[in-house]
Formats: sequence, C-alpha cells, structure tokens
Amino acid sequence: MGSIIQVYWTLLLKSLGQTLLLTLFSLLFAFFIGLLFGLMNVSRNKVLNFLGTVYVDGIRGVPLIVLAYFVYFGIPALVQATGNTGFKLSALVAGIISLSMNAGAYMAEIFRAGIQSVDRGQMEAARSLGLPYGISMRRVVLPQAIRTMIPAIISQFIISLKDTSILSVIGFPELTKAGNIIVGNTFAALQVWGIIAIMYMVVIVTLSRLAKKLERRLNVSNAG
Amino acid sequence: MSQMQDEIKEPVSGDRKLMIRVNGLKKNFKDLEVLKKIDIDIYEKEVVVIIGPSGSGKSTFLRCLNGLETITGGTVTIDGMNVADPHTNMNKVRENIGMVFQHFNLFPHMTVLQNIMLAPVELKKMSKEEAREAGLKLLKRVGLESKADVYPPQLSGGQKQRVAIARSLAMNPDIMLFDEPTSALDPEMVGEVLQVMRQLAEDGMTMCVVTHEIGFAREVASRVIFLDAGYIVEDGTPDAVFNHPKEKRTIDFLNKVL
Repeated sequence: MGSIIQVYWTLLLKSLGQTLLLTLFSLLFAFFIGLLFGLMNVSRNKVLNFLGTVYVDGIRGVPLIVLAYFVYFGIPALVQATGNTGFKLSALVAGIISLSMNAGAYMAEIFRAGIQSVDRGQMEAARSLGLPYGISMRRVVLPQAIRTMIPAIISQFIISLKDTSILSVIGFPELTKAGNIIVGNTFAALQVWGIIAIMYMVVIVTLSRLAKKLERRLNVSNAG
Repeated sequence: MSQMQDEIKEPVSGDRKLMIRVNGLKKNFKDLEVLKKIDIDIYEKEVVVIIGPSGSGKSTFLRCLNGLETITGGTVTIDGMNVADPHTNMNKVRENIGMVFQHFNLFPHMTVLQNIMLAPVELKKMSKEEAREAGLKLLKRVGLESKADVYPPQLSGGQKQRVAIARSLAMNPDIMLFDEPTSALDPEMVGEVLQVMRQLAEDGMTMCVVTHEIGFAREVASRVIFLDAGYIVEDGTPDAVFNHPKEKRTIDFLNKVL
C-alpha cells in the first residue's frame, strides 16, 4: 500500500483535485439552474410551473450515467449531423454539463422547499409596501430561504461529489478513473480501491462535519 | 347601509375627500362565498373599525382593499384606480396603503431600521440617507428610536408591532389598514400599540381597523361597521352601533363580546 502511494501520490491528488473542481463548478451552475427552476415552480404562472416540473421530473427520471452518455456522445453526434463534423465535447465540459443539469434538478427542489418554508406573511408584507414580486423575492424571501437551505445544499454537494465517480465512464480524469488506471498497472485492487475509498471518505466526512456545524450556528441565530 | 348609498357622490363630497369606494364587492374562496356584497365609501380622516364574528370576512375585506386577495366581483376604487382590474398597477396603489398584520411580518434578517428603509430605497423614493433619517423619525414617533439597529427577534411583541406600523408609514401612505393588530400580543402590550394607533388617528390618518378591542373602537373610531356572513349588517357611529344597534345579529354579537 505504501509503495502504491509513493508511486502514484501525484496522480491520486491531481485526480482528487479534478473531482473537487468538477463538483465545485457543477454545483455553482446547479445553484443557478436550481434557482431558475425553483422560482418557476413556486410561481403562479401555469406555463412556468409546467416547464419547471418538466425539467425537474425529466432530469430526475434519467440516471446520471445515461445523461452523461447522452451529453458526451449524443450531443456531438447531433451537432455533427447538422454539418459541423469536427465538433467534440471535452470530457470536462460534458461532465460539468451533465452533473450541473442533474444537480440542478435537485437544487430546484431544494429552492422550492426553501422558498415555501418562508412564512407567506413575509411576501405579503413586502408586497403590501408596494414592492414588486421580484424585489420582494430577492430582498425578503430568498435571503431567508437560502439560510434554511444551507444544510441541504451541502448535502447535495456531497451527493454530487460522489456522483463525479460516474463520470469516469466518459473518461474524465477524476479519482475513480485514476483508481482504474492504477489497478490496471499494479493489479493491486484491494489496496488501490481501499485508498480511493478512504480519500472520498475523508473529504466527505469533513464536509458533513462542516454542514452540522453550520446547521447548529444557523439554529442558534434563528432562535434569538 | 341605505344611509351610505344616499351619500355616494363625486370623489369630493363637501369638505371630505373620498378615499375608498367599494361597490358590490364579492370574494369567493373556491365554493365558499366569504364576501357576498359589500358596498361602502370611506372618506379622508375616517377611522373605520370593523367588527364581527370570526369567519365573517373582516380580514378578507381588508385584504381585498390592497389586492392581497384577488377580487371575485364588484369594484374597489382607491385614488381613482380600480383594484379589481387586473391591469391596475397594484404596486402603485399599495404605496399609498399601509398594512399592519396580526403577526407583524417583520423581516427577521434585517435590522429594525433596515425594515423601515427597504421600500423607500428599493422604490427609489428616497436616497439611503433620506430614508435613514425618515426611518429614525418614524421610530421616534413610535417610541423605539433606541432599537434602530436591533434585529426583530430581539423585540417584544408590542415593540414588533410598533416597528411594523413605522415600516408601513415609511412610504407616506394616505390610508392605513390594520388586520387584528393586537390579537397576537400579550395583554400587557396591547396598550402601547393602541396608543400609537390612537396618535395616528389624531394626526388625521384614514384608517380601517379590524379588531376585537371594543374599547378602542368606542374611543377612537369615527365609524363602526358590523360585518356578518359576508354582508355589512350595521354601519354607524360607535354610539349608534354599540348603544343602539338596529339589527338582531348585531345585538347578539355585542351581547357575546361586551
């Protein structure tokens, strides 16, 4: 085990970095996708409601691995068919797109629940002051909603971080892919997958601890 | 009610300006008819107290006035704008109508002063500096200037409601609506809120107040309306409604609450 770490530690750390980078970017995009579709789902406009529901149900109804294949192979095929024969998506771009779309659907639900957890009277008070819906949402409802959403967002971050391993199938050089490569070279499956598992665990346990801490802090300041 | 209809005239009747005209107002929640047919004119500086059993539609009536509830039928005209018309810019109408809620609805993530400054600054009625000054003045008016930088959860119920009143005054409204402003308060805090409202009435604010505080109604109201089952049953001075009610339903209700 020691010798594997000695030989491969740069690859392992670099691919952990890729995993974190992919998660971070995807979650960032997912945040805005979630905000957009979450707002659509709480709006009174039937068309927006419908579009929001289609997105959330549609994406949640497709396994991430299928979505990743679709984005990585399907979309370039579509673009190539329209004449742009050289078009290709990098594994990083395809990975970020599929993970963002996937996490975005779950974030939309987190936003919807967060917005709905804010007392209706808050929106009514803002509107009765003459503030338009958008400003009321941005200044009054969303800041309160996001506070309650923080634990759920971190938990989504953890889920997405684990989901990045699925993206090894499109050749993205993240941690699980590195494991495949190292096992291919060393045939030391037990040690390698043990190391990989521990690496995931350390990052994720650290994150959940952070989430718990934040949650406690939020509860304390809300109780005041 | 008949005496009201005789009075319906152009927006300025004698020396009094018509502030709110409600004509055949209806409000249904699905199959439930909450307001069946409400007609009332409210003039400048009137303090109208609305009483009635729970479920009679008092709060719904108030919420129809500033469009928090969509109106099923009839018209509500405020400042010449019809609230029932979906093309009316409700934000403009609401700038002139302050509303105070039973549960205060202060914004807990903003300080007291930020609560008050939000609308004037966001709607570009005032610069931040002007809004701060105006806000501090309003806080002084409700006796809470020392609480400007405190967050709402640290205030008592009575203080919260006084801040809520100050906040709804920040847009300089011509009309103030109060939806059971003291019902969620501990008894010892009711007085301080009623005192602020009394002061507001003395300053000439046009007010519609839904309340169970009969003492306040007797003392401050210029007019008392008894609402029951979606209709205005009785409408008159506090003396007329409380001491000489005409309708049996009014008498029954007053016997229960007095």
